[in-house]
Amino acid sequence: MEFVDAKTLSGKDLNVILKDRLGKGLDVTVKNSHSMHNIGTGMKEKGKIVVDGSTGFYTGGFLEGPSIEVLGDAGWYAGDNMMSGELIIRKNAGCNAGSYLYDGTIVIYGGTGNRPGYGMKGGTLLICGDAGGWAGQMTLGGRLIILGKVAAGLGESIYKGVIYVKDREAESKLGSNCFVDDLTGEEITSLNDLFGKYGVDQEAAELRAVRPMTTGRHNYVLFDPQLEPEKARKYNPFQG
Amino acid sequence: MSEVIDNTTTKKPARGKDVQRGIWNAQTIAEVRYKAENGKHRIRGCGATRELPTFDDLIILPGQMTRMTIDTYREKCDTRTVLGKRHATKPLVLETPIMIAGMSYGALSREAKIAMAKATAMTGTVISNGEGGLLPEERENSYRQSIQILPSRLGFSRRSLEAADMLEYLVGIGAKPGLSGHLMGAKITEEVAAMRQLPVGIDLHSHPRHGDAFGADDLMVKMDQLRELTNGETPIFIKIAAARVRDDVKIAVKTGVDGIILDGMQGGTGAAPVMASENLGIPTMPALVQAVKTLEEMGVKDEVSLIISGGIRDGADMAKALAIGADAVAIGTGAMVAMGCSVCLNCQAGRCAAGIGTQDPEQRKNLIIDEAAERVANYIRGMTAEAMLLAKAAGKTKLKNLEREDLRSLTLESCAMTGIPLVGSNYTFGTPFGFC
Ligand SMILES: Cc1cc2nc3c(=O)[nH]c(=O)nc-3n(C[C@H](O)[C@H](O)[C@H](O)COP(=O)(O)O)c2cc1C
Repeated sequence: MEFVDAKTLSGKDLNVILKDRLGKGLDVTVKNSHSMHNIGTGMKEKGKIVVDGSTGFYTGGFLEGPSIEVLGDAGWYAGDNMMSGELIIRKNAGCNAGSYLYDGTIVIYGGTGNRPGYGMKGGTLLICGDAGGWAGQMTLGGRLIILGKVAAGLGESIYKGVIYVKDREAESKLGSNCFVDDLTGEEITSLNDLFGKYGVDQEAAELRAVRPMTTGRHNYVLFDPQLEPEKARKYNPFQG
Repeated sequence: MSEVIDNTTTKKPARGKDVQRGIWNAQTIAEVRYKAENGKHRIRGCGATRELPTFDDLIILPGQMTRMTIDTYREKCDTRTVLGKRHATKPLVLETPIMIAGMSYGALSREAKIAMAKATAMTGTVISNGEGGLLPEERENSYRQSIQILPSRLGFSRRSLEAADMLEYLVGIGAKPGLSGHLMGAKITEEVAAMRQLPVGIDLHSHPRHGDAFGADDLMVKMDQLRELTNGETPIFIKIAAARVRDDVKIAVKTGVDGIILDGMQGGTGAAPVMASENLGIPTMPALVQAVKTLEEMGVKDEVSLIISGGIRDGADMAKALAIGADAVAIGTGAMVAMGCSVCLNCQAGRCAAGIGTQDPEQRKNLIIDEAAERVANYIRGMTAEAMLLAKAAGKTKLKNLEREDLRSLTLESCAMTGIPLVGSNYTFGTPFGFC
């Protein structure tokens, strides 16, 4: 394992060094990552990068090959547009982790901010902690797994793909156009394999699946405004 | 008029249907009835229909005693155009400053997309893919290919970046600024759905905001990412609708783009809420003036390429836009009309007898690709020739040498809006734009 001190490097310079090391068949540990943005952008080389610290925005964006492991936290948009490979975040990730994920696997051992998996199209996004609001919004494919608590707007306007949740209150937090369903045997097996691979202590049979409906918001029907004269009648204009 | 109110006359009074009823015209009545029947706003193709200021409100001054004119038929006027050379190491080199704007495969038929791509190869210009992915046949046939990075990223992946000669980070379009893409179920066929990863037949209101950059600060970091992914080679543009042009242009420049595509209120669309098209944004001509002024104030006018779109119809529009300070124009509706579109405003329905705005296999047969390609190419050639004619009459041997001083306003309104002096008086009402 090679060590690279990123203290005085820009994200771009660091990536040049990382590509060079991976190209030579060496795995690399990055020290002093100082929440740098764009670490690992679009790397195609195979191998392993360990970031011994935290990262800024777009960690592993468009990644296409290696495995990146962040030992600290990752900033917003971790693994955006990722194509293949692996992004492992040992602590928490900011908003919009895995947005537009195309393929590959992202594992976040902590929690995430809002909108993880926004518009994702494939691959796997596993969040072991809690997830913020609007998780899996307008997803087009792939699987999003949330083992902690979920927040409002879950699966809003999901087109395709599936969201697996453990939170028993998930049903009351659903966005529109989705419903809660049982897992198939195949799904349980595949998820248990995933949990086994990443050392996650979870039994897939305890999860529920949030799946898309093709009705509702996917028709040109207006949901707003909902004009409610009864509420207006009771409204106190001086107290709000 | 007296016929209507004079009851003493023996003539038959005019009936309701013969009388102009001011704001209660046929269109207003139709819109009220639509809402009354459906409880929702109407979605329609083509964009704004209302009267808006256009480049017709400007004229070009020909050379007479002050400058020598250039022979229309025997002397040259250079049209070659370089776009996006601020940071990108492989800027676009086009034979004519006319881009075919991003119009999605889905809104348009496969045949229409291929025909337009072929037209770019015949004329040496660029076509943009639009929302919903890139048809392989579009890429194979286009001279230069622009790829849009839209909030939905439908049909988008890293492979799309690699196919691009130019990138467009899309923020908005003039026909529905502040709204996302609309594609009604009739057009989401198996083929279109497969490319976009959508269920067949849904009414699509696509992703409203970019999920990987919430604001300008994030976008600056995103730009670094995109530069790294494209090896710094591909010009990156941002496409914005005309709104708070001054602020938007400043912010866009700060994010580090190579160029801006500014789409005015007259811009076309495959489907948009009528309310949006008719009431959101500002018209193309004043928007362009504001953008040019802002780039000049920032001292980056020569670095940042500016492409203007929204209602560009002919060589006169183009020449005037270039004179104001655009580097190129983009055409959408014009290219469709060249292929046979009649601007019926019904693009959203997917029933287009011309085979352009449809996915119906039978209707698509009506568009013969090679004929349509030739017509679009001819349109581009003709438009270029028109702009050259005007430029030469104004004494220019290069299209890009057209300048503000070559223009005059025909109306008080256009004068105040553009800062270009009024014909006759040569006064400017409002803030002068490059004139003392
Ligand atoms: C049928 C159609 C589909 C369009 N689809 C897109 C699109 O996918 N992405 C986009 O940025 N603009 C889209 N536009 C807008 C055009 O890119 C362009 O901004 C506009 O057409 C310019 O105005 P013009 O039609 O008056 O030339 C579309 C326009 C039309 C007419």
